[in-house]
Formats: sequence, C-alpha cells, structure tokens
Amino acid sequence: MASHGITRAAGTAVRTEEARQQQLRDVDAYKELVDLVSTKVTERQYTLEVIGLLTKLLKQNPEYYTVWNHRRRVLNALFPSDPADESSKHGVNDLLQNDLQLTFALLRQYPKCYWIWNHRNWLLETAESQQGAEVGRQLWSGELLLVNKMLGADSRNFHAWGYRRFVTAQIERLTTFTEGEAPRSLIEAEFEYTSSMIRSNLSNFSAWHHRSKIIPRLLNERDANTDARRALLDSELALICEAINTDPFDQSIWFYHQYLMSTLSPNCPSKDRIVLNLNNGDRQRYYENEMQYIREILGDEEDCKWIYEGLLFLAGAYLEVDGGTKVFTTADMRSWLEQLKRLDPLRKGRWDDLGQCLNL
Amino acid sequence: MSLVSGPGRGMASLPAETRLYVDKHVSYIQSLDTRKDELEYWLTEHLRLNGLYWGMTALHLLGHPEALPRDGILKFVFSCLHESGGFGAAPGHDAHMLYTCSAVQIIATLDAFDKLEAHMEHGRRKVGQWIASLQDPETGTFAGDEWGEKDTRFIFNAFLSLSLLGLLDLVNVDKAVQHINSCVNFDGAYGTSPGAESHSGQVYTCVGALTIADRLDLVNQERLGAWLSERQLKNGGLNGRPEKTEDVCYSWWVMSSLAMINKLHWIDGEKLTAFILGCQDPDLGGLSDRPGDMVDVFHTHFGIAGLSLLKYPGLAEVDPV
Repeated sequence: MASHGITRAAGTAVRTEEARQQQLRDVDAYKELVDLVSTKVTERQYTLEVIGLLTKLLKQNPEYYTVWNHRRRVLNALFPSDPADESSKHGVNDLLQNDLQLTFALLRQYPKCYWIWNHRNWLLETAESQQGAEVGRQLWSGELLLVNKMLGADSRNFHAWGYRRFVTAQIERLTTFTEGEAPRSLIEAEFEYTSSMIRSNLSNFSAWHHRSKIIPRLLNERDANTDARRALLDSELALICEAINTDPFDQSIWFYHQYLMSTLSPNCPSKDRIVLNLNNGDRQRYYENEMQYIREILGDEEDCKWIYEGLLFLAGAYLEVDGGTKVFTTADMRSWLEQLKRLDPLRKGRWDDLGQCLNL
Repeated sequence: MSLVSGPGRGMASLPAETRLYVDKHVSYIQSLDTRKDELEYWLTEHLRLNGLYWGMTALHLLGHPEALPRDGILKFVFSCLHESGGFGAAPGHDAHMLYTCSAVQIIATLDAFDKLEAHMEHGRRKVGQWIASLQDPETGTFAGDEWGEKDTRFIFNAFLSLSLLGLLDLVNVDKAVQHINSCVNFDGAYGTSPGAESHSGQVYTCVGALTIADRLDLVNQERLGAWLSERQLKNGGLNGRPEKTEDVCYSWWVMSSLAMINKLHWIDGEKLTAFILGCQDPDLGGLSDRPGDMVDVFHTHFGIAGLSLLKYPGLAEVDPV
C-alpha cells in the first residue's frame, strides 16, 4: 500500500541520468507485460503459458488484485469439468501445487498483502471441492505449518492469526465427517499454542486474545464442572499476575487481566463466562484478592499508571456487587485517581470523566 | 492520483514552530499525476481511485478544492465504472467494493450524481444494486467482490456508499448490524470477523457502520473509549493495537472513532497535533507515517483529516464518519 516505515535518504537523492534511463526501461517492460496479460485474458487464452505470464506479473506486483482474479479465471478454465475424472487428477494437482508454492513464497515476502491470503484461501477451498474431503483435510492440516512459519516471523500478523482460526475450523469440520472417527477438536492444541507463544513473549496481545476466545470452548469440550472451571480461572489469574509482576508497564498483560475480570461480571454473557455460577460473595473475593496482589506490586512500582488504573477498575467492579464491607476507602480511590492524573496526563480528560462517574 | 512515495520525507525531529505547510501540500498533491516515468507510479495503479479520493479530500480540507480539475476527476472516475455498477481501481481493473466506495465518495463530494446518471442510465441505482448484491443473506455481512472475501470493512463501505446514494433500503441493515455485533471483543473494540483481535482500523469501520445505522446504543462506549485512548503513545502518536508502533494513519481511525462516541477529549490533542505536523515534509510537501519516513498521499490525507478533527485552524471541518 502506502510507504509504511520506509526511512530513506535515497528517495530525496537526485537520480542519475543512467538510473533514470534504466527506470524508463523498467516502466516500459512492466507496461508491456501488463498489456500482454490483459490482451490474452480478454481473448480468453486460458493456457499454461498465460499462467506463466501471470506468475511473472504477480511476482513483480502482488497487490494487483485484478491479476489474481485473472489467475483464478484461467485456473477455473484449466480444471476439468468433471472432478471425478481420474485421468485429470494429476494435472489438477500440479496446478494447485504450483499456486501453493507461489503464494507461499509471496507471503514470506509480503506477509500483509490481503490479496495473496485471499488467493491462498480460494486455492484450498477449490482443492477440496476438486479433490474431495480427504485430500482437503490433508491440505488444510498442512496450512497450520504455513501459519506457524508466518507467526514465527511476525507474531502479531493479524492476517496469519485470522487464517489460523479459519484453518482450524476447516480441519475440525472435515475431521468430524470422517467415518468411524470421533469428532476431533483442535481446541486443546490451540490452547497449548497460545501458552507457548506467551511464554516466548509476554507482550504478544494477539496470543492473549486468541486464548481469551478459546477458553470458553475449551471448558465446554472438557465438560468442566464448577471445580474445574474455578481451577482454570485461578491458574489464569496466577499466570497473568506473574506476568504483571514481570512487566507492569506492558498493556497487553493488563488487557488480559481486564478480560479475566470481565468474565466475573454479572453482565458477562453466560457463553463467555469461565465460572458459570458465581454469586456476589464470590465476585467480591476475587476482586479483593486481585486488589491485594496489585497493591503488593505497588510497593515496588509506584510510578506505573496501570496499577492505579487496575485498582480503580477493580474498585468500580467491587462497588457494583458491594455487600457492605469494603477493603478500600473513598480516600484510597481518590488518591489512585490523583496518581493516574499525575502519571498519565495524555488521558487527562478520561480521568476527569472517571472521577465524575465514580463520584470522587 | 499516484501512490508513489516521496520524493520528500517527513522531518526527523519536531519543528520548533508548529505550522501546517498548506501550499506545499497542495502542490505535492497536484504533482502526483506527473510521475509516470517512475516504476512505482505503475506498480500502484491498483490504488489509483483511492489515491484520487485521498488527494481530493485533502485538498478540500486544505481549502483548495479547485487545485484538481472537477471535470478531469469525474472523467477518470467514470472510466473505472463497469456495466455491472461496480468501480475498479483504474480503467481495466475489476470492480471491487473498496474502489466503488471511493468513487461514490468522490461523486458525492463533487455533488455530481447528475453526471453519473448522464454517464450511465439509472447509474445511481445500478451502483446501489451492485453493492447490495454483495450482501450475504445468511450472515448479513458483505463480500468485497464476486470472489467473496468477507471483512467488516466491506459492511462499512456498503453502508457509507448506500447512504450517500440514498439507497440504504436496498440491503438488510439489521442483519449486517447483528454481524458487526458478533465481532465485538471484551475490550469493547472490533475485529475483521467474529473471533478476530480488536484493531483500530476495524473499530472505525464498525463504529462508522453503526453510526450510519443509528445503532451506537450497541457500543460499550466506556470500554471502547478506554481502549482507543490507550492507542496514544508518549510521543503523541497513535497506534492500531496494544504494544504496536505509532502511525499517522491511525490519527484518523482512532480519532474519528473517539469522535463518534463523543470521547475525543480522552486523548491529548495538542501532542497529537505536534506529532502529525512533525511528519510533514516542509520542503516538498506531503506527510509520512512517522517523522523521518517517506511521504505519500495516503498518509497526507489521513494526517490532514486528523488535524481537521483536532480543529487545526484554517482547515475545513471533516465528518468523523
């Protein structure tokens, strides 16, 4: 797209005459290729030769979405009209493998280009419809390796995370329909995957987010009872509190803490809850424990605004389910708010509104 | 309009004085279509119509709408129109929602729907019907084109275009609204599809669509406002997701979303203004993603639109949707 993160001095430098001539030759060659491709496609020359030209053009410009459309038009024409025709299977397979390799190489080079991801998705869906569920399942399973590679290179790439969710859903769909096998879920494996991503980088909010989406389904599939649900919540709280202690200035960690707290709220939809049947006494105990823990960290990190924000968030939640006794005073809340205003002047307007909202 | 980057670049450090180089930006935008001897001009042809919208809108905000010829703009826009009613990025490029939305925005800005009718019989309705044909009746969401990529961006493109065309009744608004609602996360923000991570660009499209549908009641405005306000970093710039780097384009996506939920005062406007101004090229015009990088028309537009939301003196007022 536009020039993101490209520092340069070269851009402002005056081009030499030689460089200018070279660029003009490049422009001519590129335009010639574009013209050639569009002529052939307009004439419906849907051949392997045109696939080759399209490959050449896409390698030069993978953002040219119309050329990806042309490629699908040509491929659709090259696929046999009867997928059951055994004699054509080999040719179809070659075409698909060719495009899988092309998109893999291009994604490594342009990991944020929507059109490459789209084409890859189309390829897999087409392969499944051309070659059947079993081949489809193998191909979709192979996609997890691609996603792992992409996330290994950039653990926040949201295209890759989105594709991961889509791919696992396809594998599960196809596994369920395999005869004689019990439906196999990938949810435990995905949970473990987020654990390993978080272990290697606590700041990876994409991994924390993925985890937050997995937990409710994980518990359902485990058929977890109340004790098991409480145990999972407690272990998540222990994990995140350790993370807070490691780096209290990282907002990814605090957002996951907020997520866990949001599941305790009486307003949390039941499908998103971790423990299903909390009463207000339970809620208070959780809020109290968290407050106590965060106040302990405060001893070492009195200039971390997230701590005061966390305390005020918990205080607000606590007051919503207040049973009478309080582990904090209005004066405490007022002092936390003052600290927020001191440490985080960028968001002064928000802290002013919060003070009004909490009657401080 | 060319998407070619440079030749200038944003300043490496904040200027002592905080001024907007209006004339420089105007001539920068005017110069963009003269760079046909650069390969990048041709490699960015798939963004030509968006680029024209960004450049034209920036000129309108800068108070120089006359700097690009109205007739020339419309002639190019109509040359991208397909019989189907969809627009491509440039002549010969396939129709897609992204360019159709830019085309409708340009025609609306230039108040030229009569020209569309003159160019194509029942043109307004045909464009509306093409957009409506991309709605999935099951889920309410929209595809980008005939190949079927789905993303909450396209719901916004559809709602925005159809509301400008006066044809929102062609689609099932409630179904699409339900779909947006299924993309919300615990932080009050939205992702590309159900289950996807919150992202500022996606927040803009979802909150924008809900604003057009008059359904902001569905938004958890306290939560979302908090998440959006945390996009501001110490240097004043805004990022798109937690623990990512700042970028001028988020000035628009984050700020317009905050404006739609009346929480623009939850970030520091002065610091953001200084950050955006620091991304200008004071010599050749244009803005970059962050200080010291190459300028382009995309960041020039979103930076100036951001300054307009911040009520920078002398700029025309922009609608946050």
